[in-house]
Amino acid sequence: MTDIKHHAYLFDATRCIDCRACMVACSVENNIDMDKTRIWVAGIGVKGEYPDLQRGTMVYHCMHCEHPDCMSACPVGAYTKAEDGPVTYNPDLCIGCRYCMNACPFGVPHFDYDKGIIDGAFIDKCTFCPQRIYNGQEPACVQTCPTDALEYGERDELIKIAHDRIAEHPDRYIDHVYGEFENGGTSYLILSHIPFSELGLPNLPETPVNEVSEKVMEMTIPFALGWGTVLSGVAVGVGLYNKKKEEKTAVEEKAEASK
Amino acid sequence: MTKMISRRDFLKLGAATAGVLAIGRMLPPKVAQAARAAGQINADGDGYVHSMCEMCVWRCGLIAKVKDGRVVKLDGNPEHPHSRGNLCPRGQSGLMNTYDPDRVLSPLVRVGKRGEGLFRKASWEEALDIVASNMLKIKEKYGAEAMVFSSTHNLSQVQFENLLYAFGSPNYGTQRSLCFNAMITAFSLTYGVEEPSRKYDDVEFILMVGRNLMEAISTSETSELAHAIDRGAKLVYLDPRYTKTASKATEWIPIRPGTDSAFLLAMINVIVSDELADCEFVKQYVVGCDGIQAEMQKYTTEWAAKITGVPAETIERIAREYAAAKHNALAHPGWRTSNFINSFQTERAIATLNAISGNVLTPGGCLSADVAAEGAGLGVPPQPPYPRVSALRLDGTPWKYPLVPLKLGVFQELRDAIITGQPYQAHGWFISRQNPILSLPDRARTLEAFSKMDFITTVDIIMNDTAWFSDVVLPEASYLERYDPLLPVDGKVFIRQPVVDPQGEAKSALWIYKQLGERLGLADYFQYEDEEDYIRQQLKPLGVSLEEVKEKGYAEMAEEEKGNEITFNTPSGKIEVYSETLKNAGFSPWPTWEEPPIPKEAEFYLLTGKVAQHTQFGTQNNQLLHKYSDEPRLWMNTKTAVKMGLEDGDWVEITSQVGTAHSLLLATEAIRPDCVYLTPGYGHLSKGLKTAFGVGASDSALHVTYTDPISGGQALSQTFVTVKKA
Amino acid sequence: MKLNLTIQPRLRLNFSPLVWVLLTLMGIAFIVAMARYAFGIGAISDLSYSYPWGFWISFDLFTGVVISSGGFLMAGSVYILGIEEFKPLLRPSILTAFLGYIMVAVALLVDLGQPLRIWYMMIHWNHTSVLLEIGICVMTYLTVLAIEFAPVALEGFKLQKWAHLIHKYIMPFVILGVVLSTLHQSSLGSLLLIQPTKLHPLWWTPMLPILFFVSAISVGLAMIIFESSLSSRYFQRGLETHLLEKLAKALPAVLVIYGLLKFGELAVAGDLGYLLSSGTMSVLFWVEILIGVVMPIVWFSVKKYRTSPNALIAGAIITLLGMILNRFNVSWFAVKHPDPMFYLPTFMSNVDYFPTLPEVAVSIGIFSAGILAFGLAAKYLPVFEAEPKSEEAHQPAHGLHPMPTAADD
Repeated sequence: MTDIKHHAYLFDATRCIDCRACMVACSVENNIDMDKTRIWVAGIGVKGEYPDLQRGTMVYHCMHCEHPDCMSACPVGAYTKAEDGPVTYNPDLCIGCRYCMNACPFGVPHFDYDKGIIDGAFIDKCTFCPQRIYNGQEPACVQTCPTDALEYGERDELIKIAHDRIAEHPDRYIDHVYGEFENGGTSYLILSHIPFSELGLPNLPETPVNEVSEKVMEMTIPFALGWGTVLSGVAVGVGLYNKKKEEKTAVEEKAEASK
Repeated sequence: MTKMISRRDFLKLGAATAGVLAIGRMLPPKVAQAARAAGQINADGDGYVHSMCEMCVWRCGLIAKVKDGRVVKLDGNPEHPHSRGNLCPRGQSGLMNTYDPDRVLSPLVRVGKRGEGLFRKASWEEALDIVASNMLKIKEKYGAEAMVFSSTHNLSQVQFENLLYAFGSPNYGTQRSLCFNAMITAFSLTYGVEEPSRKYDDVEFILMVGRNLMEAISTSETSELAHAIDRGAKLVYLDPRYTKTASKATEWIPIRPGTDSAFLLAMINVIVSDELADCEFVKQYVVGCDGIQAEMQKYTTEWAAKITGVPAETIERIAREYAAAKHNALAHPGWRTSNFINSFQTERAIATLNAISGNVLTPGGCLSADVAAEGAGLGVPPQPPYPRVSALRLDGTPWKYPLVPLKLGVFQELRDAIITGQPYQAHGWFISRQNPILSLPDRARTLEAFSKMDFITTVDIIMNDTAWFSDVVLPEASYLERYDPLLPVDGKVFIRQPVVDPQGEAKSALWIYKQLGERLGLADYFQYEDEEDYIRQQLKPLGVSLEEVKEKGYAEMAEEEKGNEITFNTPSGKIEVYSETLKNAGFSPWPTWEEPPIPKEAEFYLLTGKVAQHTQFGTQNNQLLHKYSDEPRLWMNTKTAVKMGLEDGDWVEITSQVGTAHSLLLATEAIRPDCVYLTPGYGHLSKGLKTAFGVGASDSALHVTYTDPISGGQALSQTFVTVKKA
Repeated sequence: MKLNLTIQPRLRLNFSPLVWVLLTLMGIAFIVAMARYAFGIGAISDLSYSYPWGFWISFDLFTGVVISSGGFLMAGSVYILGIEEFKPLLRPSILTAFLGYIMVAVALLVDLGQPLRIWYMMIHWNHTSVLLEIGICVMTYLTVLAIEFAPVALEGFKLQKWAHLIHKYIMPFVILGVVLSTLHQSSLGSLLLIQPTKLHPLWWTPMLPILFFVSAISVGLAMIIFESSLSSRYFQRGLETHLLEKLAKALPAVLVIYGLLKFGELAVAGDLGYLLSSGTMSVLFWVEILIGVVMPIVWFSVKKYRTSPNALIAGAIITLLGMILNRFNVSWFAVKHPDPMFYLPTFMSNVDYFPTLPEVAVSIGIFSAGILAFGLAAKYLPVFEAEPKSEEAHQPAHGLHPMPTAADD
């Protein structure tokens, strides 16, 4: 049971101490193999020259985009975006083509490169802990974070909280809430003290990266029908023309022969 | 008597894992009967059980989710003041501690040479008989004092001490002198309390000397500090390394190791010289307010700048900022303060800084000396008085170290006395939940001490290094599988109870100590039937039933009546910045500067520290933590590495005056050019730790033993090393 | 009594060395594929979290599909446009295409995580997915190609009546084939539309499908020239130089259109600056353009080079190399996956990719099978007969360039 209409995360890079409790919690909660992970750390690590140093790390998992590119790309529709936010992967449909891994601008989906044909090689990614969020709990990573770097709640509220926080400490944050609009908006929002690219986040426009691809796909059937019609017309036309030419030649030959 | 060893009994650890267990999976244990009886687990073996973590000493309350009789998830208990609903990475990995394929699940008796790892399984009967008979033999032949008992402080400590005192040995080794003797002794002498408590709600300025809270995580305190910084509190952090705490600090001071006290004394000088402290107010409660100006005069900021490498203006500015925050300024007491011999003086200076800010004198302030004694208010089983002990303690307390509390001891001295045989030779060692081979400095020496022992028993859950070198290993049940004595925290008493049944034949320490005690003829000292009976006896004065506590995870204790008077448990009843006690013992009564040693040209300070993913020497085998840990490497400043012709990723040899270690090099900007750093806890010798064996290097193989004569504290950073390409 | 001790071999495997080589390569590929099925893709390849697609996709899918484009070109020319004179080139190009697409399908059976579910694309449809369109089109087109090639096979098995029947009703299939080919040749380019942040701006454009289609035509033309040249040399038959000359004349025109579209697109998108400032990417781009576009335009503008067999195959090879480089650039070389500076857990840190020997062996093995199949078909089926078998069966096709004999020297 949950009242939340649109589930979302807020990550504050200034609070993250790179302790990785979230990662252990996720692995345990979701029973992940020892050599796989749904959640990882990326970023600049330590940057600068002694003693003017800076740290920046970001906890990564699925961004649960508003317009998921994985969902757009998957040929068999193994991804769905729930109305209340989470993007879910269905292994029963997956054919293992890994197009979703290409499509995702964040590099989220992970693939079982070590599984053969009997175990089956599938994709794995953050599920937003549905077994927890629909039972009044927070996702495993959020719940355990000792510094509240990871928070969870209603997307609109979190965006407001994020902007309020920037306003309260303008010298601490980059004045931007990543994920509010990027890629059409994501449900994993990020606040940072360093440029987002240094946390490993790609520079994305507001239009989802799948927009051009989907527009082109929309044209497929009309184009196919049109092109088929044109070709048929040409074939018929050419056929008629050749037939007429043949008849003309036949007539001429006949005329010749009769001379 | 020798028992014929059947091939089936013969267990060579380091080869195949204990049969039944596949990697990472255990056969589903029976449903924890106790939890079922309490209604927490239903017939299917599903439910939630409240207990406490033991992955470090912070002991966060947790709620364990059980499914089909297996622990499947641990979450922080929101009601517990140490977790507040959160768990650090080690806490989250706790179930891997229980389901570690390398666990010892039956008593083991050594059959090969010590260190070969050849053991045979034995029944509890046999193993306990062997242990008891050996201990009694030693008692008979050499006296009870020839039996050394050591344990790292934990919840069953009260019964461990019970065993030790009932047996009649004075020789009690704990990890404390390797950790916080400097802090405890300094604050005991200055405030009359071992460790003042910290509150971050209103703090505005925090000065930390080390205490890498963002990596040496104490969940609630780490959380509070993080929120304080988030709120806008200023953190000034002194550390030769750019740790994760340094990255959160407003100002990181890369101070020269061993010179913290110079920095602090200069700060005190600035504050008292310019009368920035509210001395009128402070005067009533502090001994030494009159003479402090004169005493501190010699510690100028210029003087400190030369020693610490920190510009004088910076020290002055920080002192003023600290003073300006008045009682909302906090100089953190620190915790592991076993860095240099002068760490005791550093702690005294910190205590002084807090005193003159008035924070500890302000009710509800960020520092408080009002701390309840451990175990107060709980019941104890009846027992006869302990036998009188006339033998001297081997660790020199108090005859060599007059100011070291008996409770703390000087563990490294105890180890050295075993080797020298002075004032008498010890012959037996009983170790519980401790890993002296990796924790004591100078590992070669510890191994030498082991070789002097006729008999060594270790109680542990896994074949850690010390167990590897023991004669009998007794398997304790992991913390998710056992009861431990109750622990009061902030007005509540919390329970540790089994979440699942113990694997194999593992048993709780409460059971082991009682069984052993009975065989040693000390049954009268263990007057409890079983663990539940013990806890019921503890609960008696509170008038709460065991079932109540088990269900909720805790019980409220009666609120102590707090008087309005602020007093200190010192001889004068005041804060003793000037300490007569120290004077009488022949030491400086004031916090004072003691010159630390400085490395020679080609040498480096060897620093030690913490990582968030591990706890000291016991968690390196936990696969979940191993998965998310950085590879342990020797840190060296990038420019220094270049000067030495070394590159990131090189295999290097590190040499100290007592040993050598090898490691991969990490060239990083995050450390002073004159320092190197090794994450402790690696370089395990035990082949019974499949995940940890062969990973990293042991810094205890390099550490030289230095003991502070005042606090008995170890000086772990006073070891200097040379590094070269291997 | 004299015992006859000589053993007569029952079976004589009288293969040429080339065939033995091809069989060996196929055998190696088979073993690697079995290893892949047993131990997973990671066991035999360098594919990883950062590089989900590598050599297999670039070579087997992208290149494999584009070099099969001769099929629809010839089918369209001969049947729809009625250019009867190209008939001699029709059957070989259909065979090339047919085998090409079979090779693509076999490669996918190794590359897909769940190869047994490859048919899911026929019943589970996500209509926004470019890959779905490619999957459906390829599988359907394979069927069309089978139908288009069936007469050849049927004739080979002396089932002329059936061959003739199919031949009579072939037109709708040809039209379907051209439509499907247009769709998926362009869609291979569309595959990259969803990766604007990963594909370098010198290649990424919303016009990728159009560029891919136009270049596919050029590759088709070049491939027909190439295949004809090789077949004539290997099977010792004549070369239809006069026909190839016409194709070689069309090639520059197609490439000019392609070049204008390509640079026009860069200009409109404001990406001309990347042409010289992108380091390795610039080099790859210019190599691709020079070899695949500029050189063939110049080469085939010279009439002499359009009529000499050696020049024809040279020009075709240049075009193929350039355009294959283009396919590799678009699908692999110019694609950069996110690489933050620091990764934890460290098993994620593999951000580089280089194909392993087993990976390449699989592709080479599949390709060898294709060559072998082409050879078998050429030997036993009337692939090089221009017309269905009739009275004129044994007349050589018109205008065949005579093979150079020793007497000509």
